[in-house]
Amino acid sequence: MKFSKKVLVSVLAAAVAVSPAMCVNAAEEEIDLTLWGAEEDQDLLKELVGKFEETYPDQKFNIEIGVESESTAKDTILTDVEAAADVYAFASDQIYDLQKAGALADLTEYDEAFQAVAGKSIEDVKNANSESSVEAATIDGELYAFPMAGDNSYFLFYDSSVISPEEAGSWDTLLAAAEKAGKQVGMTLASGWYNAGFFYGAGFTTDLNDDGTTSMDWNGTSADGYTGVQVVQSMLDIAGNASFMAIADGDTSNQIAAGGLCAVVSGTWDAQAAQEAFGDGYAAAKLPTFTVGEDQVQMGSAFGYKFVGVNAYSENIGWAAVLAEFLTNEEAQIERFEARQIGPTNKVAVESDAVKANAAISAVIEQSEFGVIQRVGGKYWDPSKTFGENIAQGKIAADDEAGIQAALDNLVEGVTAPVE
Amino acid sequence: MAELKKNVGQTVGGFFKSIGGFFSEFGTAVIKGDIFVKLSLLWMGAGYARRKQYIKAAIMTVIQAAVILFTVKFAMEYIPKFGSLGTVKPEKVFNMKTMKNEFNDYDNSFQILLFSLFSFVVWFAAAVFWMRNVVNVYKLQKTAEAGKHVNTFLEDLHAYKEEKFYVTLLTLPVLGVVIFTFIPILLLIFVAFTNYDQNHMPPNSLFTWVGFDNFLSLFGGGGLTATFGYAFVRVLGWTLVWALFSTITTYIGGILLSLLLNSKKTRMPKFWRTLFIVTIAVPQFVSLLLVRNFFSNGGIVNTICSNIGLTGFLRDIGLVSTSYIPFLSAPGWAHVMIILINIWIGVPYQMLIATGVLMNLPSDQLESARVDGATPFQIFRKITMPYLLFVTGPALVTDFVKNINNFNVIYLLTENVYTTTNQAMANSQAKEVDLLVTWLFRLTQDYYNYKMASAIGIVVFVICSIFTLVAFNRMIKGDREGTYQ
Repeated sequence: MKFSKKVLVSVLAAAVAVSPAMCVNAAEEEIDLTLWGAEEDQDLLKELVGKFEETYPDQKFNIEIGVESESTAKDTILTDVEAAADVYAFASDQIYDLQKAGALADLTEYDEAFQAVAGKSIEDVKNANSESSVEAATIDGELYAFPMAGDNSYFLFYDSSVISPEEAGSWDTLLAAAEKAGKQVGMTLASGWYNAGFFYGAGFTTDLNDDGTTSMDWNGTSADGYTGVQVVQSMLDIAGNASFMAIADGDTSNQIAAGGLCAVVSGTWDAQAAQEAFGDGYAAAKLPTFTVGEDQVQMGSAFGYKFVGVNAYSENIGWAAVLAEFLTNEEAQIERFEARQIGPTNKVAVESDAVKANAAISAVIEQSEFGVIQRVGGKYWDPSKTFGENIAQGKIAADDEAGIQAALDNLVEGVTAPVE
Repeated sequence: MAELKKNVGQTVGGFFKSIGGFFSEFGTAVIKGDIFVKLSLLWMGAGYARRKQYIKAAIMTVIQAAVILFTVKFAMEYIPKFGSLGTVKPEKVFNMKTMKNEFNDYDNSFQILLFSLFSFVVWFAAAVFWMRNVVNVYKLQKTAEAGKHVNTFLEDLHAYKEEKFYVTLLTLPVLGVVIFTFIPILLLIFVAFTNYDQNHMPPNSLFTWVGFDNFLSLFGGGGLTATFGYAFVRVLGWTLVWALFSTITTYIGGILLSLLLNSKKTRMPKFWRTLFIVTIAVPQFVSLLLVRNFFSNGGIVNTICSNIGLTGFLRDIGLVSTSYIPFLSAPGWAHVMIILINIWIGVPYQMLIATGVLMNLPSDQLESARVDGATPFQIFRKITMPYLLFVTGPALVTDFVKNINNFNVIYLLTENVYTTTNQAMANSQAKEVDLLVTWLFRLTQDYYNYKMASAIGIVVFVICSIFTLVAFNRMIKGDREGTYQ
């Protein structure tokens, strides 16, 4: 009884609220926008949207905020692009699929409207953010999203009570120090995101072609003069070391908490787990170097960003673009860092003292110098995962050069297969 | 087999006979009917109006108008494009004043496909309705000619509460089945004959018909990817092995467990039964994920095994080559573990069923067997087991089909844990432990490969229906009761 009364009251209230709004609409149109962001970002987004509405008092907005994780945005949006949000946050690896499916607006097309309303051009936005983040958001010379955060990569967490900063500099000394302490160094090998770090470091590349296929040169010789076989041999040496633990993809937090590790390759999402496990010894640094032939080669990493994009099928696309930029400007990025310890991409925000004081964010920014924007198609992930698993399990012998070459050829064949 | 053929033949024959009957009835009505019956072909209310059933005539007119309106306003938007599934791609122009995009009237292949199918279904229903209407009107004419009472509208309505009550009852469920089951299945079947995948995603690009291409590449016949056929055979093989073993092991395990619990020598049977039912009470989702973590490469079971030296022992005899036991991460190991874990999950269900059946076991037969000096094993083999098989046989068939599609157990136990080391499998996004249904799930969820997923879906459907048809025909024959007695 109580419930139905409540419903009745709210329906009446809604009716009363709607009717004057309708009258206003006739005079001045209200702009409806939907915004999707991560669950943890909801409070922040509410605040930013409030500020956005204050910034443009002449225009009436009706902005709805929905929950959609950045990592799964693509799946939800591609189910029905026309029904998806006008503005949404997503992880940078999804940008190619989203762009290809027509789910991302080419922002440069709205430059004129942008300048008229926001008072800055797309070029200004590009200049305000780090070059690599802008490059990651650019396809064929056009900007398809605004960089929001730049910490989606991996680096080394270590326990400085066991490992000195110098020892953390290379895999050889790192593993030796771990052995002395009776602990292990963990890293995920069975993932094309992590294991590519070795290849990118040695100068190998991947690229995404227009037809959705991936190019890959790992079975040849890199620009730096190393062969793929040498890199795999080095990986096998590391994986075969008793002090190395190959962690299954997604299992890293559990392994950190289990306590058997003194160093681990992971990202900012594990900062808290690492802090709890390593206690006062908690430290973070760029990835170590690894031995290829005679040389010490700095490990690269697949570097990812978080973007805010605009749905190409958005009804109010001009305002959507303005909102998307507002959510990623300097103030918004600083606020985001303060609220959630997420690394900014804005050049001014990166330089702030607060950012510099955060060990994990500093390490990821240090690593970003060796970071590579991973341009790959859908066919990349399963074969490269299997390749990493084969190395982790030692299914290939380090001295069997022909075997390694055959495995690399297989990998390249699978990754570069045509998209059916 | 001959009997099966006969059975199927009868069913199919009966089906066509009834369709033929319907058409001949319609033909008779059209030929023998008076002018108003014939006029009903054009205006569905004509026959009723002649018999002074004006309300019915009005309803029929409204329905006819609705169908025509539906055809003109809705169906004709999509059906003419059904052959090509659309040709117009989206184009847009930005309007500075309104800050909005103005789109052209672009096609969406998926919408065309879905709404065309819907229109076809509506048309089909309308056609049947139209033919039935003529037949009804002819009946009405004959009733009137015979001088019998012609029902008023209220009397007709009343009939739906009395002799035609089944119609009232069934309307909603049938509608539900058509909208929520029949149309989606049709859609799935049609998608299998298109190139709907990541490169052809509406609304940005269009997809179109490709004939049997998807099935060709699924069966390895020179399609676009040679590896699809390679993976399909292996996935299908494991699906069948899994369905067979998981069904048999849980079935036998359940019976043995319930026999044990029903035995007079077991103390506190209720306590034990409750203990086993607890596994049902905990959602599978939770328990399976927990078990997955227990048996993962760095999980607690591996830690224990390595601490007590089992891992080292297995490595010494060459059973494992890694520093852990790959319970859920290597072929062979994972296959066996999945079936074993499934026993733990599935046995309590079967135990409940078997307990129910055992409680109803005819005690006179057991008694007389005991008097005749049969051993407990003989009783089990000759009386208990045949009885159980007879009663639970149909459930066994459904279990097998369910296990072919047992998504939960396989997906929750292997996702993110099992990594295939077979590059050819990985190249077609499959794993050795995949069932057809989990492979299908990943193809749609992660790779948007809807066309292949639909083709696999059809294959699963065919396998399941053939098996069910054969098994049920052999198992549930009218004379089986006699054989048991």
